[in-house]
Amino acid sequence: MSAAADVGSLAEGLRRELGAPAVEEIELDLEGARLGLRIAPGPGGALGAALRLLGEAATPALVRGGGTRSAFGHPVPRARVLLETRALLPPTVVDDEDGIAYLPAGAALCDLREHVRKVSEGRWEIPLDPPGDSSTLGGCLAAAAAGPLHAAPRDAVLGLDVTLASGEPTRCGGRVVKNVAGYDLAKLYVGSLGTLGVIEGAWLRLQPAPEAREVWWAPVDDPRQALAAARAASTRVAAWLSREVAAELGAELGENRAGPALLVELAGDAPAVEAEARAWAGRAGAQRLEQGDPMAWLRARQGRPRGLRVRVASLASALAEVARILEEHGAQVLAYPARGELHADVDFSPGVSGDATVERILRGARLAARAGQGDFVVEDAPLAIREVREMFGDPEPRLALFRALKAQYDPRGILNPGRQAGRV
Amino acid sequence: MAPALEDELRQVVGSSHVLSRPEELLVYEADGLTHHSATPRAVVLPADKTEVVQIVKRCRAHGVPFVPRGAGTGLSGGALALDGGVVIECARMNRILRIDPEDRIAVVQPGVVNADLSKRVAPHGLFYAPDPSSQQACTLGGNVAENSGGPHTLKYGTTTNHVLALELVLPDGKLVQLGSATGMTVGYDLVGAVVGSEGTLGVVTEATMRLSPIPERVETLLGIFGEVVSACRAVGRMIRSGLVPAALEIVDRRTIEAVEASVYAAGLPTDAGAVLIVEVDGPAPAVARQVERVREHCVAEGADQVQVARDEAERQRFWRARKGAFGAMGRLAPDLYVHDAVVPRRKLPEILESICEIGDRHGLRLSNVFHAGDGNLHPNISFDRRDADEMARVLAAGEEILRTCVEAGGVISGEHGIGTEKRDFMGLLYSEADLEAMKKLRAAFDPTLVCNPGKLFPTTRFCVEANPKARGYDQVPLG
Repeated sequence: MSAAADVGSLAEGLRRELGAPAVEEIELDLEGARLGLRIAPGPGGALGAALRLLGEAATPALVRGGGTRSAFGHPVPRARVLLETRALLPPTVVDDEDGIAYLPAGAALCDLREHVRKVSEGRWEIPLDPPGDSSTLGGCLAAAAAGPLHAAPRDAVLGLDVTLASGEPTRCGGRVVKNVAGYDLAKLYVGSLGTLGVIEGAWLRLQPAPEAREVWWAPVDDPRQALAAARAASTRVAAWLSREVAAELGAELGENRAGPALLVELAGDAPAVEAEARAWAGRAGAQRLEQGDPMAWLRARQGRPRGLRVRVASLASALAEVARILEEHGAQVLAYPARGELHADVDFSPGVSGDATVERILRGARLAARAGQGDFVVEDAPLAIREVREMFGDPEPRLALFRALKAQYDPRGILNPGRQAGRV
Repeated sequence: MAPALEDELRQVVGSSHVLSRPEELLVYEADGLTHHSATPRAVVLPADKTEVVQIVKRCRAHGVPFVPRGAGTGLSGGALALDGGVVIECARMNRILRIDPEDRIAVVQPGVVNADLSKRVAPHGLFYAPDPSSQQACTLGGNVAENSGGPHTLKYGTTTNHVLALELVLPDGKLVQLGSATGMTVGYDLVGAVVGSEGTLGVVTEATMRLSPIPERVETLLGIFGEVVSACRAVGRMIRSGLVPAALEIVDRRTIEAVEASVYAAGLPTDAGAVLIVEVDGPAPAVARQVERVREHCVAEGADQVQVARDEAERQRFWRARKGAFGAMGRLAPDLYVHDAVVPRRKLPEILESICEIGDRHGLRLSNVFHAGDGNLHPNISFDRRDADEMARVLAAGEEILRTCVEAGGVISGEHGIGTEKRDFMGLLYSEADLEAMKKLRAAFDPTLVCNPGKLFPTTRFCVEANPKARGYDQVPLG
């Protein structure tokens, strides 16, 4: 039977509820799933109605925003419907007097950033980094996607509108910047990979745009040595680049870089940035980068699939050791020392690279996480690997709670079943 | 209490650490919200996590609910044992287990006092940022339960931004580690879910806290205004301009009068309508510039005077007016109801006027001291709970204030939590479906509702589950 025929009766109901243009029969193999329907419900009642029908039919959906982080998490082989969030476009509110905004989950984050910049006449920014041009706000929040500028999407969220698997529209948090009225469910939904509910819109706390900004780099042997610079008050971004990554950026900027380096963005009040820049100017080998946009390059590099990528968390004191372990296991390393975050890339081509490559990087990640007293997650891996390997370090100690949460929020298992840690 | 359970608890923690005589239990009848009270069956003081596990398992086996409690400084009735439950008092678990200056973390037991952590890490150039007004007494375990804030949350965030990992005894007695010292989340953000859950999801036995570097320079300004609304407008101007001070606090005329008549007197002009305390911190060159910007905004909104603290002693004097406000108001009447709500910051001027009007209309002595930068209001009502008529007016005014804040797009608590105080006002803010979504979280952690029952959710819903009288709700005046 074809994938479309498999969901034929469901399609009828969905067309009645959503209108024909929002429902399309397809034959698509994606994320290990054989998908027969693509739906793009609008906000409010339409999304709720769609989820109710999926629940009644016990038909799981692969929930997807811009698709830029689709290789993060486990595959969803039981899904039969592709639920796209691009039509979740409730009206936007930018309150530039209060420094907050309500933004639609289905919109591209790049577009929203530009919108906020325009409306606020450049005074406010959205404190989220889009992994790619088509990344949606909802996708970034569901994946808790961090970038070079902003590490913690959870901290930007004031409130969320979320439609639960039952089809019930719900709200948590609100538009104010401080709130302890009830459980902080937004924390739970951010990073839940769409397994607990579908985000429709979000109240975000905006961030004042910096008055001044400069980018510098300097040779620095390891990420622990980079810490002092990374922790300086005017440093907004500090990225330590292993030899190969520094060479990549050098090539992008038309320069020849021979060794590991620290790349920093100073940002904030002009007098502070100027003072910090003077200190940088006196540092051996330091150079101000005035050409190109290294931060955009970093963001794009982080968003670009490499084949195999692992993110490891480490305590500051173990950063050098963790980077060394990852490099010894064949990875190129990009680290954010102030956050204790290391990204380890291995160029991997399915069919060409062997299992030994996978084993090696996963072994390296485990050792590195242990050395750093942290955890690791596989952020990018081919489908065949994600089908058989755990992508979230060792979720076992918390697995019972994860399963209990999934059972409560999505008892029929219709929202990205299996995608989360421990295949929840 | 069933003797068998009491005996078992004594076996776990030793006889001297189980309190059950009426005079011993009196202390635990209420927290800082004195007009809500309920007597626990017993209070047990564990020394460590293994004892907490045993206490929880034994309570559960006997079908007796339990309530974790810190210093009892909470202001929403969150630490009351409503249903004849056992209070697990964390005062003996008060050790700082690890301080790691390079990693900027501290591992603490729940009974560590908030201010003690900052004192201990200060020699390393670090501090613990959340600083509730009760920080000299409140515990970090209580802060985790309530997601406590304080004057400096405007820049530094609330407790949730500073908790990296938790060790938690689940309501079934299992011990779990949530999060990691690196702050990385693998899977669902369970640390984020537990912080602010008011002790309903388990008992925290250890917490890994993020430490922050003491800023290079701190400047504190005092803006003196003829009217409180002008001070509010100055706050609005600063926010609009993108300025993010470390703290933006307003103290109104009635509070100034109370402070100046008390031991906390700070030399504030008693004829001022309000004072605005602004603290800016960071790199020295940035702070100098920010001081000028703050001064400009205050002057533009009609400040009579803007003073910059000349030294640390003067800075402490400015803060004394703010931090001592609640103590000073204690002199005015036997009871003080410290309300807590949040509104969009741009609405502060109009809401402040409404709140004062509500207080006047009900014939109450209402004053305001609040975190203006967060829009977090604290209307304080001085009253005498023995006067039934006044008590009724206090509760009526409180409800009206909450409704006014919610209608303005605000919420019913910014830092005190819901507890028993506001559980029946949750419906102002949330739909049935919203509350059901919260109950799903509760059910995942505590399906049998043995951990701090009767908090957060409207009682009408709990009444369906059990006889409210049997659960002790009848002891709580709801107005």
